[in-house]
Amino acid sequence: MGFLGNLFGGGRRDRSASVAKQRLMMVLVDDRYKLTPDMLEQMKIEMAEVLSRYLPHVDSDQIEVTLLRGEANDHLKAEIPLKRGRDE
Amino acid sequence: MARVITITSGKGGVGKTTTTANLGTALAMRGARVAVMDADIGLRNLDVVMGLENRIVYDLVDVVEGRARLRQALIKDKRLPELCLLPAAQTRDKDAVSPEQMVYLTNQLRTEFDFILIDSPAGIEGGFRNAIVGADEVIIVTTPEVSAVRDADRIVGLVEAAEKGTPSLIVNRIKPRLVNRGEMLSVEDVIELLAINLLGIVPDDEAIVTSTNRGEAAVYDQHSLAGRAFLNIARRLNGEEVPFLPLQDQPGVLERFFGIFGRRRT
Repeated sequence: MGFLGNLFGGGRRDRSASVAKQRLMMVLVDDRYKLTPDMLEQMKIEMAEVLSRYLPHVDSDQIEVTLLRGEANDHLKAEIPLKRGRDE
Repeated sequence: MARVITITSGKGGVGKTTTTANLGTALAMRGARVAVMDADIGLRNLDVVMGLENRIVYDLVDVVEGRARLRQALIKDKRLPELCLLPAAQTRDKDAVSPEQMVYLTNQLRTEFDFILIDSPAGIEGGFRNAIVGADEVIIVTTPEVSAVRDADRIVGLVEAAEKGTPSLIVNRIKPRLVNRGEMLSVEDVIELLAINLLGIVPDDEAIVTSTNRGEAAVYDQHSLAGRAFLNIARRLNGEEVPFLPLQDQPGVLERFFGIFGRRRT
């Protein structure tokens, strides 16, 4: 980003390139797999439900699902942060 | 062994025709026998971009329908005797040619040329399918914009479904200053999104406007960054390993004032 970028409006809001990239990632998932943002949200909620049976404190809002495109196959990557709760 | 390479994009206006004209010219400058074919039937343009519009007598559809022999329809380039154009028909539509006829036509060209470059129409319909049906390889041109990248992704899927292998990618009209400011998708972003091999990076360059105005390829212009990028892509197509050009910023007024802050590379 550099000096001038920091001086003028750096960090004020997300750079449009990263917004574009995020939006494209979502759109491409939808295009390739007919997976709409609503379905993705529902998937997160259900993932949280299943995981909660085995792990305490899984929050569906904290789950991040991203699609990675590989050479032969695409991968759906889910990041599921676990709250560090020793039995309260 | 001839290679048939289709240049396509999905979205219109991203530089397919400019890319075809420049790569064809660059390959011929390096001694290859090259035919460039305009597969955009009804919206012919490769002829004007190459400055050959006044020489057209017969076109692709005339050949397919038997009114002309292939050799009669091929137009020799003004400067390079080894470069020929097969123009599209202007008064017909894309249904004038069948996929079988396109395969037959490309196979005829294979016997006379080292490279056959096909300029595909935009879109994903019949014209696009005709443009890739006879191809050995496919190159996708995109610009670093959401609409172009999205369409390019769609095309990757269709090219793979047509069993033409994974296409390679040219990212056109990169503006290094915008990328450095985080206001334009970088080449790395585009590759990550599309996950196909990068063949070339072409910087945004006003010389493309002037060279297109004149009907001369930018690869003739020693000072054109885009021209140099296209020359490098042609060398890569020939199997050479050529590093990607460093994209130098055009410093803005303020950045020029601050001097050392103004110059970055991508």
